[in-house]
Amino acid sequence: MNGLHAGVESTFTADGAEAFTVDAEIEVEPGESLVILGPSGSGKTLLLETVAGFHDHEGFVAFDGRQLTDLPPERRDFGFVFQDYALFPHMTVTENVAYGTQYHDETSDPDALLAELGVSPLSDRYPPTLSGGEKQRVALARALAIQPGVMLLDEPLAALDVPTRQALRDDLADVLADVTSVYVTHNRTTARALADRIAVMHDGRIVQTGTPEDVFERPASPMVAEFTGANTVDLSSAPSLRRLLNGSASPEGDGHAAIRPEAIAFGDPGDVQASVERVVREDATNRVTLSFDDVTVTAFADDPPSIGDTVGLRFPMDRIHHCESDSLDSRSRRL
Amino acid sequence: MATETDTRLVRDRVGTRPLVVAFIALQAVAFAGAYTYGRPTWYAYFMVGSTAVTAYVLDGSSFTVATATVGSLLTVALGLPLFLFVARQNPSLVAEKATDPGVHRVLYLGVYGPLLAAVLSLVLGVPLAHLLAEGFPGQPFVESLVDLPLVVPHSVAGILILFGFGQGGAFPQFSVLGTMTGMVLAMTFVSAPYAVNATRESFEAIDNRLEYASRIHGANKWATFRRVTGPLALRGMVTGGVLAWARAVSEFGAVAVVAYSVSFFYPLEGGEVTAQHAPVFVYNTYLQGGLAESGAVAFLLLAVSAVIFLIVRYLTDDNSATGGMP
Repeated sequence: MNGLHAGVESTFTADGAEAFTVDAEIEVEPGESLVILGPSGSGKTLLLETVAGFHDHEGFVAFDGRQLTDLPPERRDFGFVFQDYALFPHMTVTENVAYGTQYHDETSDPDALLAELGVSPLSDRYPPTLSGGEKQRVALARALAIQPGVMLLDEPLAALDVPTRQALRDDLADVLADVTSVYVTHNRTTARALADRIAVMHDGRIVQTGTPEDVFERPASPMVAEFTGANTVDLSSAPSLRRLLNGSASPEGDGHAAIRPEAIAFGDPGDVQASVERVVREDATNRVTLSFDDVTVTAFADDPPSIGDTVGLRFPMDRIHHCESDSLDSRSRRL
Repeated sequence: MATETDTRLVRDRVGTRPLVVAFIALQAVAFAGAYTYGRPTWYAYFMVGSTAVTAYVLDGSSFTVATATVGSLLTVALGLPLFLFVARQNPSLVAEKATDPGVHRVLYLGVYGPLLAAVLSLVLGVPLAHLLAEGFPGQPFVESLVDLPLVVPHSVAGILILFGFGQGGAFPQFSVLGTMTGMVLAMTFVSAPYAVNATRESFEAIDNRLEYASRIHGANKWATFRRVTGPLALRGMVTGGVLAWARAVSEFGAVAVVAYSVSFFYPLEGGEVTAQHAPVFVYNTYLQGGLAESGAVAFLLLAVSAVIFLIVRYLTDDNSATGGMP
């Protein structure tokens, strides 16, 4: 197949820590952005580094049908952007960006890339004098300069403050539009903004792969639901919601229901009556924590109720996704 | 009694540097006075006492006064011999030795031999340091071997070298006993650990991801060393080399056993000459000529060592290198 296809298994041991095994398979179509989304410690960085060739592994890595498994990193034709930049401190910005060009036939002009990313004025500076956002733009330019077959990005925004992160995220969306890329993050907003497809990783394994809509609206397990920010309701603790589901075409009420907070509407008469536990002001709206039966859910309200109020909640049937309790143990699901 | 706040105000107003200069000047005057009166012991008391008083005035806490006072005992033990040594030199004897061609040869050899040893330590030590920084199976064994010279008595090190490379050693047709090769080998044996360890530390300080970044963007291991890890570890290599050089300059035991006196090419006379390594020469002069004569030679050697010491301090104090991530 064309694009990147990798299935790797590798066990890592750090001093004083238990051995950790990454066992995952990913496929990325040409031009596609695959985001690997997972909590800290899920092994997503190790997976990316293994695909890059930094670690010994079992399995295979192939790109456009070419086997790369036994090739060292320098012969895999990948670009890599690191969370903490990894710029060469003894070289100027331009020298950093041009670093790999001498090893590749097709390259981009470093100056043009720096201009495109808005950091031309920095070309003669050394990395230790740059801000985080500037460093990451330079690091991005360095990776793009070799016109890599695949861009691998390891949480490139994680170390940046919020305004810088948003600005760079927009630029990344432009830059990665036509590039085959694998992007690792624990940030679901970033994932949703940049992904053509998302692979959710947990405990060294991929537990769900799909479009952002798939993963966010139809999580494969309560773990995925929770991590993507959906309400995860244990139906055995929520009889009123179970009754509601039984009345519809949805499966009978065991397991968990996942529903996104933005799908829950306020209004009487509601499907359930819930009491308001907490209201937290967020950027443009309010996050409201509500309880009914033995469960709590969150919803958004521009015009929030008061704490202690009883309000009606409406659950649109087509936005409720049923996930089996079985998958709670997040048993690996290979693609 | 001055409170801590008061004294800090005093210090802030005056600044630290004038206080340091005043303290050193006071010590110099006190030593000159005590020495002129022929009572250097008085100066020892004065140094301990003045340190205690200064600590009390500047800080006031009993803990600081106690550590400063006990600490000053050690500085007296280290400093007093040095001051007396300098003060008791006979200038005409020093001048005589300073113009003695024989002494020149010794000083030349005392700098040149160690330089060869330092270069050898680096050439062989840098690859090993890189390996040690990366880690490999059996590493503890190699580490122990590298650090062995730090704990082995140096005369024993000399004996080891003679067993290894002397008569009946690894090269039967060649013995290093009494040769320049033997001297450099003995110096390398005792100074290589410094070169290896300093270089290794600087390799270890380099973030792995700089190496990853270099590799993934196309550079193989050689190019990565040449363009990234080598330059970033350069300061560590220089430090290691200078430390090794300084260590070799001061080496006595191993050199005395392996190469008591050697012949070497001496550019100032344009031919082969024979001389001893400087520390050996000082000891030899002491045995044959007594304290005064060996003192004059020792004074010259001390001056050379002081210059080396300053170079070491200059090269190792600079922390502008960023081996880690910016």
